[in-house]
Amino acid sequence: MNLEAAKLVFYEESYELLAAMEAALLAVENAAGPERGEHLNAMFRAAHTIKGSAGLFGLNEIVAFTHLCESVLDKAREGELAITTPLIELLFTCRDHIGGMVDAVRCGVAAPESSALGAQLKSYLDDTAQAVPAPAAAAMVVQQEHAGPRVEVESGGDHVVSSDHWHISLRFGVDVLRNGMDPISFIRYLASLGRIAYLTTLYDGLPNPEDMDPESCYLGFEIEFQAAPNVDKLTIENVFEFIRDDSKVRILPPHAHIAEYIRLIKDMPEGMSRLGEILVRGGALTPMELDEVLGIQRENAGAGEHRPLGTLLVEERLAPPQAVAAALDKQREHAAQKTREHRVVRVDATRLDALIDLVGELVISGAAAQLSASRSADSALIETIASLGELVERIRDEALSLRMVPVGEIFSRFPRVVRDASRELGKDIQLELAGEETELDKSMVDKLADPLVHLVRNAIDHGIEGSDARRIRGKADYGTVWLNAYHESGSVVIEVGDDGGGMDRQRIRNRAVERGLIQADEVLNDQQVLQLVFEPGFSTAETVTNLSGRGVGMDVVKRNIEALKGNIEIDSVAGEGTVVRLRVPLTLAIIDGFRVGVGQVSFVIPLDMVLECLDLPTDTGNSRQHYLNLRGEVLPYLPLRELFEVDAPAPARQSVVVVQYGSQRAGLVVDNLEGELQAVIKPLGQLFRGVRGLAGSTILGSGAVALILDVPDLINRAAKNERRKVALIAAREARHPALREEDRP
Amino acid sequence: MVEPVEQPQYLTFRLGTETYALEILHIKEIIEYGGLTEVPLMPRFLRGVINLRGAVVPVIDLAVRFGRPATTIGKRSCIVIVEVQYGDDWHDLGVIVDAVDEVLDLPPEAIEPAPAFGAQLRAEFIRGMGKISGRFVIVLALEHVLSIDEMAELAGTSESLHPES
Repeated sequence: MNLEAAKLVFYEESYELLAAMEAALLAVENAAGPERGEHLNAMFRAAHTIKGSAGLFGLNEIVAFTHLCESVLDKAREGELAITTPLIELLFTCRDHIGGMVDAVRCGVAAPESSALGAQLKSYLDDTAQAVPAPAAAAMVVQQEHAGPRVEVESGGDHVVSSDHWHISLRFGVDVLRNGMDPISFIRYLASLGRIAYLTTLYDGLPNPEDMDPESCYLGFEIEFQAAPNVDKLTIENVFEFIRDDSKVRILPPHAHIAEYIRLIKDMPEGMSRLGEILVRGGALTPMELDEVLGIQRENAGAGEHRPLGTLLVEERLAPPQAVAAALDKQREHAAQKTREHRVVRVDATRLDALIDLVGELVISGAAAQLSASRSADSALIETIASLGELVERIRDEALSLRMVPVGEIFSRFPRVVRDASRELGKDIQLELAGEETELDKSMVDKLADPLVHLVRNAIDHGIEGSDARRIRGKADYGTVWLNAYHESGSVVIEVGDDGGGMDRQRIRNRAVERGLIQADEVLNDQQVLQLVFEPGFSTAETVTNLSGRGVGMDVVKRNIEALKGNIEIDSVAGEGTVVRLRVPLTLAIIDGFRVGVGQVSFVIPLDMVLECLDLPTDTGNSRQHYLNLRGEVLPYLPLRELFEVDAPAPARQSVVVVQYGSQRAGLVVDNLEGELQAVIKPLGQLFRGVRGLAGSTILGSGAVALILDVPDLINRAAKNERRKVALIAAREARHPALREEDRP
Repeated sequence: MVEPVEQPQYLTFRLGTETYALEILHIKEIIEYGGLTEVPLMPRFLRGVINLRGAVVPVIDLAVRFGRPATTIGKRSCIVIVEVQYGDDWHDLGVIVDAVDEVLDLPPEAIEPAPAFGAQLRAEFIRGMGKISGRFVIVLALEHVLSIDEMAELAGTSESLHPES
């Protein structure tokens, strides 16, 4: 087994557990009574599991530190230690410290110093009755006696093999050392789960000295192990998880446990059909052992002999015969019943992507079939194909929804972010979350988290005023920061709002001029002024605080959102607060589209953005000004023919497709409207990375390729260009007032 | 048993009046010309995109890339689908040619170094001069001829979406 891969699993798992620990800490702060106990248990389990995994990799610092945390948590859940605010504070710090140590290991740098924190933790332990030894001390030194085969374990321990002991026999694979696994570290870790009562080293595998390869492992061990309470077979097996593939591990339970297994198996309520499953459920067999023995069974079957699972289990010493017998009884009892259990299936993301690709192909073929069916004029065929089309559409939606996750997955980290930031700044902040169930593409979730954290910190730091200022304005003492998510015309909108002082336009302007981002006399509308805060190098904070104000970040936020083909809007009312609105597309895979034609070229507009279609009034056709009157409202429009320099002459009648993106509306002038379709978005590839106004391409039912319009980009670009042009003319006129007349053609 | 020595094979094709050769290793398939969709605002060497069994593949007019007049589509026009490496991935690209000739073995000793001038082609485009029955054909260096970075650069800067008018 690859050690690096195993370590990746360890990091991943640690981060998950640390997140769980944090959630529990936040909950403990606000809970009371029995609820607290459950949260303390959750924290304890998290710390315990991290300790265990770290032990496997010989990460002694992490083991030592998490052990201290675990001990303190243990006392707390036993009620020997009162949960006080300083203790919770300390535990928060410890959680972060563990995270820091994991990061350090991951990056291959020295772990952060933990003695100070350790001492604080110890003080809690010493306060109460008995001190718990650190695991470094508990981890025993294994020394080899000169001639004898025995390894003395824990001097002073009794060597009596009693029936209360687990029997573990280990035959390490010849390659364990080469794979970066040290047999002794497994034994050491095992010792942290209980007490090794007796250990025999088996060295009959040793070859002659001259044939010996120093990198090979020839040893085996027989261990009598006294497990700590709550340690079950699976826990012990997990110790050897990383060597299972190439080593032989057999774990036999003490007699007391066998009785327990039998009782469990007998008490199982629902129907079980397979022997292996029954044993696994009862704890007599672990899933891995089951896999192993099933493998043996298959091998035997291949060699022409079929042997029942129960026999094999007993022969391989994997499960006690009594437990197997009990399980067989159970099996007969419930032979007819089937298991019905709600399960979560973990699926590799690449397989999911492959499925979605295939669904995309299905959509395209479906469109092709529909096209030929309508040509054939065979009504029965048309009907069949239509119902097939409906099914395809449903499959598409289901497949896409597999990739969707609720936005709450990002929101869950914010209670901690807000708590920390408000403590640090001495502001009383309340966080409100809404729309957590709003779904968006998994790939978006990861990329939105950092920008959101930055925006929330910014709101707390710069948005919310101090409580004195709030009182003068007649607001509640505590500030409120809220996160809200919802769907809007094919996009997901996430809002970060605060009820703080709002943004000071004049200050933003002054700063921008000072930084040379704009000219002192430049005319900007309100939104443009607010957007200045996203310019690189902009920061209005008078003092640089720990949290924000370094001038890096807001521009990065904007860049990240734009990379997702999203945009940012700011609403801010002086004295009342600010709302920052992030808008990103719902999905990056398949959309409903609306097809239009310009000359010979087909374009697809995302249907969610289309509001309506109308004829282009003939009297506006040649006007230089590109806007029309839509029921009393001004609607600017973009002629796609000019925009994309399509050569073909315009037909007599052109149409306008009215599109909306965010708060902006615009018309797109096209030759003809060709109807709705399902468009599988195909990226145009690296060669077209500089192309603007196009979001990708799709394949039509006819097999031809159509181009998908990037509506937000078209609108933004048109607005920006016009501003620049107007500003250019204005600037020219201002500089040469005398030449004004000649300047004009 | 002796392993047969892998003999490099080349595809020769016509572009206008000239004949070129490409190592067959790069070539995935040859398809009939058709079904091309133009992408607006692209330089002339980027003729458009085609649907190759569900994948959208860009098609390049090699003649324009070589500074010759654009290829006019005739009866024997083909699109040669080649694989080009970019970063860690392989990308499919289509190349329009006037006609495909033949596949032939060309041992390394039959390839002469490129001349200093005279080929009317950027020097890095030429891998060497293949000697085929007394004539020379230009063996193309695909990684330069179809450099995605260079072509994307050209595509990105060639036109502006909203020319100042």
